[in-house]
Amino acid sequence: MSGSKEILKHLRAEELDPDGGPLIGWTCTYLPLEILEAGGLHPCRILPEPSSDGADAYLDPNFCPLVKTALGAALEGAYASLEGLVILNTCDGMRRLYDAWKHYCPPSFTFFLDLPRNITPRSLSYFRDTLENFKKTVEGHFHIRITRSDLVQALEESNEIRALFRRLLILKGRGDPPLSQGDILDVFFQGWRLPKRRFREALREMVDQLEKEPPRPSQGPKVVVTGSFLEGRAVIDLVEELGGDVAGSDLCTGGRLIQEVSPSSDPLAALSEAYLTRPPCARMQDMERRISFIMGEVQEKGARGVIFHALKFCDPYLYEAPALGEALRQIGIPFLFIEGDYRGRVSGGARTRVQAFLEMLEGYEP
Amino acid sequence: MNLKNGNRGFIRGLVHRPLTYRVLRPLLDLLTLREENQAFRIWIHFILEVTRKAYGRKGPVVWMNAFTPTEMVYGLGAVPFMPEIIASLVAYMGQSRRPIALADSRVSTDVCSFYRCALGLVLEGYLPKPDLILSTSYLCDGANKFFHDLSRIYGCPHLMLDPPYNDDPQGRRYMVGQIRDAAEEMTRILGLSWNHEALARALVLSNQARRYMVGINKLRRAAPSPFPGSEGLSYLAGMNFYSLGSSMGLTFYGYLHQELKRRVARNRGYLPQEVYRILWLHHIRPYYRNDIFDFLGRQKAAVSFEEPNYLYWPYLDPHKPWEALAEKILSNIWAGPLERRIRAIEQIVEDYGIDGVIHFSHWGCRQSCGGAGVIGDRLKDKGIPYIILPGDGADPDNYSPGQTRTRVQALVEMLG
Repeated sequence: MSGSKEILKHLRAEELDPDGGPLIGWTCTYLPLEILEAGGLHPCRILPEPSSDGADAYLDPNFCPLVKTALGAALEGAYASLEGLVILNTCDGMRRLYDAWKHYCPPSFTFFLDLPRNITPRSLSYFRDTLENFKKTVEGHFHIRITRSDLVQALEESNEIRALFRRLLILKGRGDPPLSQGDILDVFFQGWRLPKRRFREALREMVDQLEKEPPRPSQGPKVVVTGSFLEGRAVIDLVEELGGDVAGSDLCTGGRLIQEVSPSSDPLAALSEAYLTRPPCARMQDMERRISFIMGEVQEKGARGVIFHALKFCDPYLYEAPALGEALRQIGIPFLFIEGDYRGRVSGGARTRVQAFLEMLEGYEP
Repeated sequence: MNLKNGNRGFIRGLVHRPLTYRVLRPLLDLLTLREENQAFRIWIHFILEVTRKAYGRKGPVVWMNAFTPTEMVYGLGAVPFMPEIIASLVAYMGQSRRPIALADSRVSTDVCSFYRCALGLVLEGYLPKPDLILSTSYLCDGANKFFHDLSRIYGCPHLMLDPPYNDDPQGRRYMVGQIRDAAEEMTRILGLSWNHEALARALVLSNQARRYMVGINKLRRAAPSPFPGSEGLSYLAGMNFYSLGSSMGLTFYGYLHQELKRRVARNRGYLPQEVYRILWLHHIRPYYRNDIFDFLGRQKAAVSFEEPNYLYWPYLDPHKPWEALAEKILSNIWAGPLERRIRAIEQIVEDYGIDGVIHFSHWGCRQSCGGAGVIGDRLKDKGIPYIILPGDGADPDNYSPGQTRTRVQALVEMLG
């Protein structure tokens, strides 16, 4: 086992520090965590274990399985240690998760953060004001003061982590480092769980270690995996197990904001702009921007195909898939759509389809 | 009905010809000659008129979704076209299977069947091409993505109003700004200019219709229920979405108000005997042939009121049109916090003497059905019998008569 693997293993096993500040659950990567961190709070992403399904009695059968699993876990007490919960206006599912969570098992602090779908000067300014309101509410509830310099410091610390992620992904781009794409997603998962400073040190150590390790030649056809929320790494592992090389990913459980964010004179305005204009997820309005981002990823990574993974009943992604598939096929990139149900496994049907897709890519020249 | 390709082409040709709607009007007048409710006939005239104008291109055609304020389009002198309403009409005519099946080749069967039906009609070339799509991102994610996908298919511009979650001063400012921007873009895209008198007139017409709506809703509190919920969920809800800001809309509400006054004065309910009063939650019902409402009627349960007819918006100030429309959008009880919707439901239950509540759970409608559990808990706490009725508004293949009847029967037993 390589050094980097060891570090990742230790990170996975690491328990949360009870003195690391009040734990605040959050759901969507459009949330600028810097605001919470600047206040000494410990944001921790809601990533429920795939086995929970206790919310079937509370939410409709044709409803997002992630949302149902998260609510089920909350009802079973899995998030009892949370002192607060921040849910974003990401989608219909998250809106209703907020309502149900608040109704059935409310933490002492809940906040619903609005999120525009358009990117315009007006929406940037509105989101900035919304963040300010969020900051004030957090300050009021937790009896803290978040100053400009607290925000700047939190931003700079996040920038250090983003720089490490960029180094990590460059390693992935130069060939196949000892870490697989599944491991890289795991690193992101740990980053959403552990205190930032502890995570930053571990990530630095891991990247330093990886840079010393020789690149391995790429095996099998390169693909980009895009889509919504992956419960763990089963889909990525399957592609790699079947001989594919996941050269890049664009997922709600991957890194969509890894560019440096300049604090500027108004850190909240800087956060508003950085988060709203980052590579978009399907809930944003501008589908063309997302399509061109994915096409850029495909070209940059030299991928031969794209696998699109959507959770069942996830309307933003279900509606986007045909348009993205068409756009990719027009430039000669095959596209495979698979659905997941947040059960932590890949169905037999999906396995067969991934296998056939990779076999087809083997002999395919775009 | 199975049509060969040639026949289909012929029908498509007829659908696209404005003359068809001129010919249909006297025919449908003849067929509805015995209809006492003149408002129903006005609704037919309205649908024929807007459809004729859209196919005849009597002005730029603006596709819209339900809840985007039509006053903006009437005020600009453009022709509104609502694919969601057309999809429900197609389902009502028993013709939704084919377009839904066609759409299933493009989009997942797990998304809303109204959008799938409309998409199928688009793919087969039945609908009039839009010059512009103007939509709001509420009430659901589907609306946002569906209309944007259509703009790609048609290659036409899409303006999307994105209402903020909270109705507070910050949200108001943002909403007014978005409407102003969209209004300016509309004139640029469509080559029209805003005539402020015409816009004010659209708001005045909307206000006048609203005054009748207030009256209609008051009259509907009467027992026995003077107006069937099945109609409240079809043409009445359709007119709320489609007609506000038009003179025909005003005529419709005026006639309906008169009709209900007459029925209430005669103590005339729509059922031969009414024992229970039901509230129907959700904006839609199954539009294809089904026996839900007849079954309820046989159990002496009247659907006395329906959620889409709840009047949530205030008077619109014609001198401040953008602010007024922003207020209308932001006061929508189905957007924003669920708590606001629950408060409105509790108010309806009280105002209309409701004995039991049905939440129709339309397949693919996450925004409404996702709240059904919490709403049910709150109503049950008040001792109001409540069921969630799973079903599908547009896809008859997703309708299970046996299961539906069992659930409705369970509600009736709870009432007894």
